[in-house]
Amino acid sequence: MKAGCALIVVLFFAAAPAFADTGRQVDLDWLQTIAFAKHQTDYSGTFVYQHNGNMETARVTHISDQNGEHEMLESLEGPRREFIRNNKEILWYLGDHKTVQVERQYSGKSFPALLPEQLSALNENYLIYTAEQARIAGFDTQAIVFQPKDTLRYTHKIWAHRDSGLLLKAVVLDERRQMVEQYTFIQLKIGSDIELTQVIAGQSTTTLQQPSNFATPPETSTQTVTNDWKVAAVPPGFKKIMEVRRPLPGKKTDVIHFVFSDGLAGISVFVETLGNYINRKLGLSSRGAIHVYSKMKGDYLVTVVGEVPPRTVMQVADSVRYKGQ
Amino acid sequence: MKQKISALMDGELLDDDAEAVLDILKRNPDTHEEWQTYHLISDVLRQSSHVHVNISSAIRERLQAEPTVIAPHSRVSHNVRWFALSAVASVMALTLVVWLSMQIGPETAPQIAMLQSNAVHSASLPANGLDDYLIAHQEFSPSSDVYGMTSYVRTVARHQEDK
Repeated sequence: MKAGCALIVVLFFAAAPAFADTGRQVDLDWLQTIAFAKHQTDYSGTFVYQHNGNMETARVTHISDQNGEHEMLESLEGPRREFIRNNKEILWYLGDHKTVQVERQYSGKSFPALLPEQLSALNENYLIYTAEQARIAGFDTQAIVFQPKDTLRYTHKIWAHRDSGLLLKAVVLDERRQMVEQYTFIQLKIGSDIELTQVIAGQSTTTLQQPSNFATPPETSTQTVTNDWKVAAVPPGFKKIMEVRRPLPGKKTDVIHFVFSDGLAGISVFVETLGNYINRKLGLSSRGAIHVYSKMKGDYLVTVVGEVPPRTVMQVADSVRYKGQ
Repeated sequence: MKQKISALMDGELLDDDAEAVLDILKRNPDTHEEWQTYHLISDVLRQSSHVHVNISSAIRERLQAEPTVIAPHSRVSHNVRWFALSAVASVMALTLVVWLSMQIGPETAPQIAMLQSNAVHSASLPANGLDDYLIAHQEFSPSSDVYGMTSYVRTVARHQEDK
């Protein structure tokens, strides 16, 4: 059975280049272009986000200048919630007069490209092929499908602007091809005439008036550690990209944070003492394609977060072990 | 093998491994006893209200130990035969139940786990507790490389389930 599957996969790869535009295996340069566009293009637009039968709109503005990257994301419905990013610093603004400042520590992230390891991981874990061409928000796009080779992760389909590589639409599908979440730009402006002052400067004064309740301590307090916890059953294809002891807003003590990546989806594992447990519920919850599963392990709370199906986060959470156990 | 069965019951095996163990279980009837013993142990440990015991073999032995009555037809022997037949039927029914529970056991276990966690879920929570984890995760998730800031919409978006 497995050999049969492997044969089909091999045949697919062998046959794919023979076909014309659709179904063709994607040139990895295209993926680089998409990642690059996300960081280097100036754009401002409104998109619709659909998940769990809900639909809402949000606006995103991105500017890249000599000072680096500035970005803002705001919800256009309901209570005001927004993110403002200035290079590595993220301000998280909630409607309830509270600003949380998050420092980004991961230097790899500021580099607007996919790392070679990430590209090879993508290639190992997903069949990546082109699908239809479509017109979205007035722009010509090319669809690309990331089809996983097992059911422990989701299928991703993205529509990239053919000129700039900017993502104009993305959908996450489960193993039955049912939509888990989707976002689509309904209006978008690409180019140099995006107003920086109006977007970033105007907003940051608003947030500056709010004292920062939780300021994440600076980079130095995050340390790579060899700790006594291990994650025994990470799904195949996921590799550990980080393991740190770090502070988390609202937590009295540091948490241990593991990150695993398969090139496209990430799984975070948090381990903390139960002293941090403030009325947090256990079990499964979700935010679109992100699933969260919390369980107690002795005197510790284990929380797994990832853009993967529920059973994957549950499986990972169940496999967290104290070393020597 | 015993370790694998135990791991399977605890849901600690990956899908492929679990399938392999289930295959072995299906093929080797002697492993059934181990499977049942482990369930019995776990039931007793958890002080479950109904303990899963296979009494079909005990009943079969008792039935075999019963003397076979060789005698002319009489009302009494008729009753004995009816009793024996109904006992055999009960044993078969019981075996069927045991067999069924073994067939569907492994598959239903994860579903039950899901339902339980959903039940906990609907008990409500403060939304912010989750957001901290989401933001910490998204900082490092490779999906942010491809989706950029738009992936934060999951945190910005309103969530019915939070309220």
